[in-house]
Amino acid sequence: MGRSYFVDEAVGEYLSGLQAAPGSCVTGLLAGQSSPQRDFVVLAVQTPHRESEGQLKAPKGVSPLDDIDVEWVTEHAKQVSRMLPGGLCVLGLFLVTPPELSKDAQNGLKRLIFAVEKYIIKGRLWELSEEDVTDRVTLHICSKTKKLLCKTFDVKDPKSSAKPADWKYQTGISSSWPMLTCSVEVDLQIPVTGSSSDNTDKCMKDGLRRWAKQIEAAYCLINGRQALDDSELISGQKKNPKTTNRQTLPARIFVSDEQSELGERSSALVQVCSGSMRVRGVVHCRAYIHNNKPKARHAAQAIKRDIINTVCSRVEMFLEDLCINEGSQKGLCSGQQALPRRVFAPMPISGLSVCDYMFPDESTADVAERLKEMLDCETPEEDIDTSLENNQCVALAAAIALLATATSLLYFS
Amino acid sequence: MVYSEECDFIFRLKGILEFACQLDNPNGVQSQSTISKSFQDLRSKVTSKNIVFTVCNSPVLIWPNTGFQSSVESLTEASACGDILQWIESDDGGSKKSSKKKDKKKSGPTVVNMKLLFEVTEPAGNTAPSLIRVSTQQHCVKMPLPLDCALSVTTDERLETVCTGLVEALNKQLADMEEVVLQYRKGSSFLVPQPFHFQLPEPAGLITVVYPAGVPDSQLQAVREDLHRKFELPCDRPYLRRANAFHFPDAAYKDGYLRNPHIHLNPPNIEDAKLYLVQGVYSYHHYMQDHVDDNGWGCAYRSLQTICSWFQQQGYVETAVPTHTQIQQALVDVGDKEPRFVGSRQWIGSIEVQAVLNQLLGVTSKIMFVSQGSELATKGRELANHFQTEGTPVMIGGGVLAHTILGVVWSENTGQIRFLILDPHYTGGEDLQTITDKGWCGWKGPEFWDQNAYYNLCLPQRPKTI
Repeated sequence: MGRSYFVDEAVGEYLSGLQAAPGSCVTGLLAGQSSPQRDFVVLAVQTPHRESEGQLKAPKGVSPLDDIDVEWVTEHAKQVSRMLPGGLCVLGLFLVTPPELSKDAQNGLKRLIFAVEKYIIKGRLWELSEEDVTDRVTLHICSKTKKLLCKTFDVKDPKSSAKPADWKYQTGISSSWPMLTCSVEVDLQIPVTGSSSDNTDKCMKDGLRRWAKQIEAAYCLINGRQALDDSELISGQKKNPKTTNRQTLPARIFVSDEQSELGERSSALVQVCSGSMRVRGVVHCRAYIHNNKPKARHAAQAIKRDIINTVCSRVEMFLEDLCINEGSQKGLCSGQQALPRRVFAPMPISGLSVCDYMFPDESTADVAERLKEMLDCETPEEDIDTSLENNQCVALAAAIALLATATSLLYFS
Repeated sequence: MVYSEECDFIFRLKGILEFACQLDNPNGVQSQSTISKSFQDLRSKVTSKNIVFTVCNSPVLIWPNTGFQSSVESLTEASACGDILQWIESDDGGSKKSSKKKDKKKSGPTVVNMKLLFEVTEPAGNTAPSLIRVSTQQHCVKMPLPLDCALSVTTDERLETVCTGLVEALNKQLADMEEVVLQYRKGSSFLVPQPFHFQLPEPAGLITVVYPAGVPDSQLQAVREDLHRKFELPCDRPYLRRANAFHFPDAAYKDGYLRNPHIHLNPPNIEDAKLYLVQGVYSYHHYMQDHVDDNGWGCAYRSLQTICSWFQQQGYVETAVPTHTQIQQALVDVGDKEPRFVGSRQWIGSIEVQAVLNQLLGVTSKIMFVSQGSELATKGRELANHFQTEGTPVMIGGGVLAHTILGVVWSENTGQIRFLILDPHYTGGEDLQTITDKGWCGWKGPEFWDQNAYYNLCLPQRPKTI
């Protein structure tokens, strides 16, 4: 009794449209949402060509399967994960091979799927719960016959073997998936002990992890209702397959400062620090939940994870960038810098949105380029929504303008 | 607010707020103002629009600082606070009504537990995050503040007033905590300020005092003296030691012993008689508890344990209730018994009880001798006086039995008397129903005593201390 994957027809069209050079393989990602009963695939993206490699053919004697750049596939998976809002994740991989490599494809897929999972979860600030589905799908496509072979691997168990799974096409899978949104105010004060940049990273990680635990444990209201128990997210609603209206459900999150490790202390925790870091601002969060009788608490979990991911991703990106620019010896220096801000764009066909992060010196053109490279889709720049998070500089400029006006009023009155 | 004794409800709000600050120089003059600034920020936090009270075991959320909003439509600012009960799911599935049995009394005010939360969504601004880095050598101080506010109210008090009152209480508690933190700080060593609730005699009612963690009661004498003066409390008995903290009616005692089983009994209706009872709280100690099989010989030991539990819970001592072995060892230590007494099953009497109370607790006791059981009926005045002034449980030994007297109903005019007896010979479990129904804790007449045996009573005296 294997898993059932309900796949958007558009994904099917994408997969059949893939061009593979004769004798070579094409790898790619499958993204969507898993639920205990069934899984939904809403996006397929082939692995982008790596610019450093000029050749498409494997060197003599090496099978194209062995030549797959595992590191590049996993990096792509990580980048794509960052672009997916809450509730959606990389569910698996596809592999197109010529007929003669079909029988070795399974091993290739198994190697890849475990590598991808391992890389994606590195640095993630929340743990999978017992209820999370740990099966990932591998889809093999024969380039000649176009035959599909769909199997799953349980990534929790490295020794697990492939299990058969169903692959079914449907139209408009996600067209009526409700979208949860919220804007979250973040103000984290993180002490930094030690002076190297490794220390900075570790302290940041620890600080974020503590905050992430608060968010995970937080009380959540979705559309005004408690999201704790097994009650259905949207009860008393007739399911009309004809409606394509997507419901937007506002989420509200309430935290307490309860920290279990500070627990029953009788004195304060004092650390000698070489400095501190503060992450401060408002993040806009989004999550989708399938509409096959979703439970309120799964929806709460999806939006919470998005909150955690979006803060974590941009800090990670910023520190990576810092490392490249300032070098690893520099460590910590003072100042305020804008973290990349989140922008949203429509996902190819499915009607859901994807996101990206824009550094202060970037424009929507840069975002469009990244979307093309990572998600293999053309996005007109005007479709990229940059309005959800205000530019830090805009705010500062506005404040200065206000101050100037006030001063001049005072002066002239 | 109103006097607590008539109060139907206690609203209790608990939550943790993290205190954090960065000190450049913990011993410098700036540090005090930095600490005060952090507390000021916390006070702003609790008066901001972001704070939310959630009522435990219910879907009710209240935003107290936005002109009163609640997540449940029917609860508005005009709602009486009693209306909140219908939303709370009680753990046992039943209602908190008093027992249906006869001779049982009401169990006191209903506690509504609430938790303090902060909303992080619906922010005022929309500015994307920045990273602000500071690189000066600093001492980073973090401390969870265990906020705990309680308000006694009547059913018809408006919910909005209760919530406003709780916000004020939070503010005040933060101010009290700031004072305690500053007072007990040594450089970068900070003690966590802990709130304790005390039920004081009217008109003070339910108050909250903040004490520094880790500082024993013995070192807080001056603080208590000030508070005794402020609340006009008698200066000869403790009201504000940590052990005197108010026990909320809905909280179970973790040690499993029953407290004050006598309150579930109705005193006998004797014409012209007055009631004189033990004051405060004791635990019921009896045969077979703590895996000690003392059936047949341990009754005086158990009565002694009941008395020790009284002194511990009224805050006079911090030592735990002694075991049979510890009691025997104490008697050896004072030279009253030979070393082989320890581990034996020998009985003890009132004199030994007096000796142990003195040795282990520093408590002195008066001994009252009665040559015949029938004479006990004439000791009404002495016992009434004892319960009025000392209010401690009385151990009585005679014949072959020992008991604990918890009170008397006595008429000065007619001389009629009844005794409230706690019987240590009970061998069952901590079942209140059985204990009260079968009279293991119950009112007895003068015929209860062996009319011909002689009796010794040990009347423990309260130390005159706060």
